[in-house]
Amino acid sequence: MAKILEVKGLTKQYDKVLAADKVSFDIEEGEIFALIGPNGAGKTTTIRMISTLLIPTDGDAVIAGNSVVKHPEKIREDITYLPDEAGAYKNMTGIKYLRFMAGLFTSDIEKINAYVERAKNMCGLGDRLNDKIGTYSRGMARKLLLSRAVMTKPKLAILDEPTSGLDVLNAIEIRKMIKKLAAEEKMSFLLSSHNMLEIEFVSDRVGIIAKGHLMVTGKPEELKERYGASNLEEVFERVVKNSEVH
Amino acid sequence: MKFINLLKKELSEIITVQMIATMGVLIVVFMMMGNLMSGAIDSVVEDATNPKINICDLDDTELTDSLINGLKDAGAEITEISVNSDNYAAVLKENKIKNLIIIPDGFTESVENKEKPKLISVSKMESAATLANITNDNSGAASFINNCVTNIVAQQTGMSMEDIDLITNPIEVDENTVVADKTANISISTITAKLASQSSMLPIVLFVLIMLTSQSLITSVSNEKIDKTLETLLSAPVSRVSIITAKMLAAAIAALLNAVVMMVGFLVFMKDITNGVTEQLGEVVGESLSVDKALDVLGLNLSVGQYILVGIQFFVTMMICLSVSIILGSLVNDAKSAQTAILPITIIVMFPYVITLLTDVNALSTVPRILINAIPFTHSFTAMSNLMFGNVKMFAIGLGYQILVFAVCLFIALKLFKSDKILTLSLNFGKKKKKVQTED
Ligand SMILES: Nc1ncnc2c1ncn2[C@@H]1O[C@H](COP(=O)(O)OP(=O)(O)OP(=O)(O)O)[C@@H](O)[C@H]1O
Ligand SMILES: [Mg+2]
Repeated sequence: MAKILEVKGLTKQYDKVLAADKVSFDIEEGEIFALIGPNGAGKTTTIRMISTLLIPTDGDAVIAGNSVVKHPEKIREDITYLPDEAGAYKNMTGIKYLRFMAGLFTSDIEKINAYVERAKNMCGLGDRLNDKIGTYSRGMARKLLLSRAVMTKPKLAILDEPTSGLDVLNAIEIRKMIKKLAAEEKMSFLLSSHNMLEIEFVSDRVGIIAKGHLMVTGKPEELKERYGASNLEEVFERVVKNSEVH
Repeated sequence: MKFINLLKKELSEIITVQMIATMGVLIVVFMMMGNLMSGAIDSVVEDATNPKINICDLDDTELTDSLINGLKDAGAEITEISVNSDNYAAVLKENKIKNLIIIPDGFTESVENKEKPKLISVSKMESAATLANITNDNSGAASFINNCVTNIVAQQTGMSMEDIDLITNPIEVDENTVVADKTANISISTITAKLASQSSMLPIVLFVLIMLTSQSLITSVSNEKIDKTLETLLSAPVSRVSIITAKMLAAAIAALLNAVVMMVGFLVFMKDITNGVTEQLGEVVGESLSVDKALDVLGLNLSVGQYILVGIQFFVTMMICLSVSIILGSLVNDAKSAQTAILPITIIVMFPYVITLLTDVNALSTVPRILINAIPFTHSFTAMSNLMFGNVKMFAIGLGYQILVFAVCLFIALKLFKSDKILTLSLNFGKKKKKVQTED
């Protein structure tokens, strides 16, 4: 299978913190990959470098043949990014927001209409799309933002903590949307989460990250087997312990 | 096309119902102020032509009676009051009056003995406002009485009125004012008064505009940061230059709308005032026309070309504000800081604004002059006066300096947007310490 994303030794040094240290992994076409780790592990930092928002201190990431360091503007054509805890313009209606965002990806009116139509069907907000986003519940806003992130059929959709702060039902709905898009449309996803139990259900492969280091990557089943654990949380515990022994 | 999409979004974010409402309120306030002022002026004019004078005649002679009748004939509304204490405050309060003239016992005797008779004038001061005290002033009545007594003295001494005039005003001053190489036959105080009322408008409008526009742009950028819509924008396939340009252009359009509204409001306000005066004081009209002519002669009325130059300078000023606002907005990470982030702009605009209201910057001694001229906004407030008084070189230096400052600020703003600094830098105005603590 073709690789959509190749991350090679991505490193980010903030003033004092080494937030990502030589992170390397890749994602194949149609695959859902999740970075999991506790708060402050470096998930958002890694994701922001791949999304061309942060300039890596060292290393590179290649998406569909383009480097984030050398050609960030080409990368931006191929990806969409949903920040963690993202909001939207509160005074805009949902439908206006979709049109505005679609207009950033293309100038072709027909394509814009097609994108918006796709997002409209996917988000399931119906008539509420004509209301201001400020009046939406957290779950509604997240569905709007998620459909925005996938309406343009990007080669890689990057979603930072897509289900955080949602109730179980909304979280399940979001996970189903992601799985369906990957299965039916061969879209690739890079997700992050600190909820290691939940992420098992949605991702094909996971990478466990702690203190800026990507410890292991692999399918949840493989990892559980390798570490003799019953769930990913236990896997994480053992991985971190092992690394401290060494 | 993508740019228009961005611009449309920025405009709809900035030109909100709130902003339109603010502009509406602004116009209404100006109109109300104009009405109020012209009302106040009407009553002042009314009182000036038919003054209400309270007189207490303690002398009560033929002479004082004729003086009072003379005042009545001249159109004054006289109320006679009896006073038996020299506690003037109590007297005014008791009689519910605001002014009082007392002709003391022995007034006539003094006149007859060729001594200077004494007249007591009491006026109540109710506020520091210029218009409020005019009607309480007795000086009109006093000078009328003065003239009458002059007449009597002239008869007594056998001098003609011309003789007396010659003695009191032996010289005639022919007042001339020179501006650069031009001269006009008018007093400098008349010109100054006229200029003060005329040229105060543009700096006020500019000042308010800077504040409004900066605040709205800072809010817009910091909101994008707080809601993380900025990250979405920056990861989308649009150039970052166009993101900044759309924001600045939208703010500039909003500023222009505000400027038009304020100028119209101000003109309505000024018109109400001048109408109030001109309708009723015929002579004043003649005089103010000649002041206008004098301004023309002296080159103090800006030509269209000069107004365009001032317009360009104001435009560059706004551009500096916009780019600085973008930078300040980018440094903000929470809603509270967004409120205070405008402070640096307020300070560097307020300072030269006040200074230029009070004094001529070019006439200061070297060090303060250089310091004040180093503040870019100083040149916005001195632009008009520099052009009026022929300091073209100073104007050009100011404009060039502002363009340079704008270029630097815009460069920094672009640099912020093009690097990842915009996401990693943050100045939490006044909150820095707290944040460090929570992180530890
Ligand atoms: N702008 C910044 N400047 C300095 N340090 C930062 C900055 N952003 C993040 N960090 C630090 O980098 C480290 C990694 O942060 P990051 O946000 O990537 O973690 P995360 O895995 O996304 O955590 P969370 O689950 O809380 O979102 C943390 O120690 C954080 O304090
Ligand atoms: Mg994070």
